[in-house]
Amino acid sequence: MHDITQLVSKVLVLDELGMGFDSLKAFYEECGLVGIRAQKNDAASVMAILKSNVDLGGIMLHENFNDNGLALARDIHAMRPELPIFLRRDAIASVAGLSEKDAAIFRCAYTLNDLQVLRESLAASIFNRIYPNDLVRGITQITSIALGAVFRNCEIEVETPYLVKDRIIYGEVFSMIAIESSWCRGYMMLQAEEDAMMDMIQNSAVAEQGKVTFRALNNVLSEATNLVWGAFKNRYVGQEQNKDNLLLTQVPIIINHQRHFISFGSDDPQLCIRYVLRDSQAQAAPVVLFQRFVFNLNWSPDQFRETTVESLVDSGELELF
Amino acid sequence: MAQILVVDDSGTVRNEVSDFLKANGLTVTPAVDGKDGLDKLKSDPGIKLVISDVNMPNMDGITMSEKIRSELNNNAVNIIILTTENNPAMKERGKAAGIKGWIVKPFNGEAVISTLKKLVA
Repeated sequence: MHDITQLVSKVLVLDELGMGFDSLKAFYEECGLVGIRAQKNDAASVMAILKSNVDLGGIMLHENFNDNGLALARDIHAMRPELPIFLRRDAIASVAGLSEKDAAIFRCAYTLNDLQVLRESLAASIFNRIYPNDLVRGITQITSIALGAVFRNCEIEVETPYLVKDRIIYGEVFSMIAIESSWCRGYMMLQAEEDAMMDMIQNSAVAEQGKVTFRALNNVLSEATNLVWGAFKNRYVGQEQNKDNLLLTQVPIIINHQRHFISFGSDDPQLCIRYVLRDSQAQAAPVVLFQRFVFNLNWSPDQFRETTVESLVDSGELELF
Repeated sequence: MAQILVVDDSGTVRNEVSDFLKANGLTVTPAVDGKDGLDKLKSDPGIKLVISDVNMPNMDGITMSEKIRSELNNNAVNIIILTTENNPAMKERGKAAGIKGWIVKPFNGEAVISTLKKLVA
């Protein structure tokens, strides 16, 4: 059961604070953060914690933790991309000096002398709306597997999920499908740029031969949407719904639009996850795919629970009756 | 050659499944939804096996299966469901409709081809 009455979040503290511990601890309490620390500082121990604490809200990392905070950050990001990482630096409150790729791992960089930037980043990253981390992590897993099934020659990169309030559609084409359960009602969208996605389909998507048209793009995006939708239902809806509702069928809705704007009549922030598809044979440019969830009709995360741990990894087998 | 009816509203899945079956020596008739599948089966009694999605416009795969048994009085054709759905209640409805088996997408042809060949033998 997730407590949504208190806006708190567990964060893993990978910071060997000396003199500054008391001030940062007070700051954590003020912001509603519950800090947990690793018994040991080595990378294996940290990874073990990440495997067990699936409801973490983020990582508070010092740049010199265990002599190499950056290397640990890369490992954490690879394993749990849904967790925002906040980087404490000794001298400068920015990601200056890091490569672009490394800098993108961190939600912000701050120093003990000025915690305002951290406060703002926490508010924007964690506390805007409660989305259970189990759910977000599961969504990235099932989506990565679904995209991998459709784009078989692609590597799927998942970036840190975040909340957005804008209503601008990315790219020219997107799919939309209703998500219905006893604890949430809304929509999932996949959004992409048409030309880039068509190039990728030409090279990497299954069962598409010859010149790829926008209709082929519709087919591929629709199937990816369908796979995610089905896995979501199997994992998070299960049998808890009224049986009559479970037997209702739905198909993805594809919209190709001019104004790049959509409204669901709600100002609530949407859960947004950005995926990058990279052609492993490097014949097509990387494609960015945005996945958005808008639970505008019902959102009761206190009733959220995972009904099964089955995933698409085990799919494809024939179950004979 | 054994005739297989592949019913899916997704062109991507229809192509993928059809190409795989053809590469394994089977003949395929595609259909775009349950209604189309029912019509194709009605006009081609040589079809030995139906592989069908569940969630499709016009007519879903379970309803199509029920109609194959009740309206076409065809109890000989084997029906396999290929879907993202993994819900026990839906499977029970499928069993009652005389469905032979259930595959959760994505399609993994290598894992099921030997069984499919037995079903059309």
